[in-house]
Amino acid sequence: MGWYNKRLAKSIWVFHVSASPCNNCDIEILDLLTPKYDVERLGIKLVGSVRHADVLLVSGVINQKVAPMVKKIYEQAPKPIFVMGVGTCPSGGCCFNDSYNIVENREDVIPFDIYVPGCPPKPEAMIAGAAKLMEVLNG
Amino acid sequence: MKLSENMNQVPVGPFHPLLEEAEYFNLTVEGETVVDIDLDIGWMHRGHEFISEQKTFTQSIFLVERICGICSTSHPLACVHAIEDVDNIEIPERAAYIRTLVGELERIHSHLLWLGLAGHFIGYDTLWMWAWKYREPVLQMFEIISGNRNHYGVMRVGGVSRDIDLDRVKELHKILDTVDAKIKMIAAAAPDDPVLKSRLVGVGVLTNQDAIDMCAVGPTSRASGVPWDVRKDEPTDAYGLVDFDVIVLQNGDVWDKLVVRLLETLESTKICRQCLDKLKTVKGPILNNVKEISAGEGIGRYEAPRGEVFHYVRTDGSNRAIRHKIRAPSYVNIPTYSASCKGIPIADALITLAAVDPCYCCTERALRVKGEDPDAIDFVKLSREKTERIRREIHGH
Amino acid sequence: MDRTDRTDDFLKKFEGKLTNVIRKPKRLYFVVDDKDIREVAQYIFRDMACRLSTATATEVYDAIEVLYQFSHDPSGCYFCPRVRIKDKKNPTMNSITPVVKGANWIEREMFDFWGVTFKDHPRPEPLLSRNHPNKLDKPLRFGRVS
Ligand code: SF4
Repeated sequence: MGWYNKRLAKSIWVFHVSASPCNNCDIEILDLLTPKYDVERLGIKLVGSVRHADVLLVSGVINQKVAPMVKKIYEQAPKPIFVMGVGTCPSGGCCFNDSYNIVENREDVIPFDIYVPGCPPKPEAMIAGAAKLMEVLNG
Repeated sequence: MKLSENMNQVPVGPFHPLLEEAEYFNLTVEGETVVDIDLDIGWMHRGHEFISEQKTFTQSIFLVERICGICSTSHPLACVHAIEDVDNIEIPERAAYIRTLVGELERIHSHLLWLGLAGHFIGYDTLWMWAWKYREPVLQMFEIISGNRNHYGVMRVGGVSRDIDLDRVKELHKILDTVDAKIKMIAAAAPDDPVLKSRLVGVGVLTNQDAIDMCAVGPTSRASGVPWDVRKDEPTDAYGLVDFDVIVLQNGDVWDKLVVRLLETLESTKICRQCLDKLKTVKGPILNNVKEISAGEGIGRYEAPRGEVFHYVRTDGSNRAIRHKIRAPSYVNIPTYSASCKGIPIADALITLAAVDPCYCCTERALRVKGEDPDAIDFVKLSREKTERIRREIHGH
Repeated sequence: MDRTDRTDDFLKKFEGKLTNVIRKPKRLYFVVDDKDIREVAQYIFRDMACRLSTATATEVYDAIEVLYQFSHDPSGCYFCPRVRIKDKKNPTMNSITPVVKGANWIEREMFDFWGVTFKDHPRPEPLLSRNHPNKLDKPLRFGRVS
């Protein structure tokens, strides 16, 4: 896969999966596209369909109702696909661990490759996360 | 609702192509016209009320901040109002100004965000980039005030947790001036924009009676001529001390909602400026020490950018609530879709939903044009003729 | 705009039907009977032009309480009729959706969370746990309070 991954790292296309977040991580992801951060200069592009995606940005603690959908999205994605957890929610559950409606083990639903903690992480942190992913892909 | 022969259902969601949260819409269409809309929600349900009843009051303020990223001042503010309402706790004057300042800054950033997204939904990305570019300085102000771009953690029962010192106030003043200039520019340019006007005027009308019947709140109802605004009706914090107007328009279409929001943004900058001026002169503590909350019930509310946020707290004298009810403004505004979306073309329905990006793949797959509508018949004829032509071309006869 | 407080008028009009009245500045909580709730709600909503903010169901030791919160916007007052349902196994009460359209979703939510059945509700199905993938053996919130 080394050859393929290197090509992938040149231009990551991301698809955004919001799995019961508080919306703020989503907003910050969108913020990345707007003039101040403008990640398109790094080849990162938000796409409308999971079939075009190389990386899934998952935000939020995954709740029980949305979990099958998230799983389905992961299955529909063309492989290889990398999953980035954005925010404290996917990394540690934030303050929602006591809830009755969230899945117990998020890694069972969708296997995360990289986490960007922060509530919400700054756009700079997300860019740093993407850069780290690119580094790994480049070998 | 029973489907007749020429009706079709268009499912949208739960994950649709672009942004925001997952939600599932089932639009019933007849030809191109929406006749019914059904929602399936609960994809985001995390059980805040339940968790909040396990936490102490201060922890629960932290928690309710994480209900919504855009209203992350409104929920804590309504929550502390509710807790303060149990015992009628007073807050220091300086704290009141800081609360109002943060709340109004949030309104500016939220309205600009909405404006950008609305532009994006009708395929007008220039407006999106514009509005979001000028939203950045507001987030910068938040960073100066609270140290974080979103989720500020400023509210406490009996006051606020952070003070703003004089140097920072001056700095904030400077940024506010630039923001103000830019907003004025947008507010002057957007109403003259032919693209916006042709897409939004007269679309998705919510009548005054429907707005009252369905108990709509905020800009949604104020664009339909319902003049209520919590900031004026029950002036908490510094709202009784500053001067501002409530914007009310009459038509109830998407255009009026846009104008209400734009004008409100300008009012907000006015309030922010007054608060910053006062922060230079009003000195004193920022937090009253609240030792305990007695048993009782409290209702707290605040006019969030989208409407009235409502919190109800019932306490038993311990350090946590035994019941904490949260009602966000969208919860009462979303059902108005069933009134405002009916009878309009599907392309307009999606801007009326405004938070939904049209998924053209599913839309076109499920659409079948048929009906009494004269335009629709025309359309059918055209499409049949086209099919016939193509068929002839392919088969060569 | 008439911003006068109408609490006294209201108390006089429904004298005898309201029990456990708690009066605080700008807040009025009272218990009404299940059979009267529609009449009271209609009066508050139509004649006094209040807006339904929301409704709250609470589980207390001997009952389930449903508290409607009506906001009288001009004066900033709250009128909160409370209905106590003694039967915790099968809580049932009259729906106010026929008179207050805006109560549709919140009543469905209470059905979903606490299992309260609303008589004459136009659409008695769960709001949040519709199409829930897991089989839910009980209402989402009921009996989960420690
Ligand atoms: S990590 Fe924080 S900001 Fe992001 S979705 Fe979770 S609670 Fe919201």
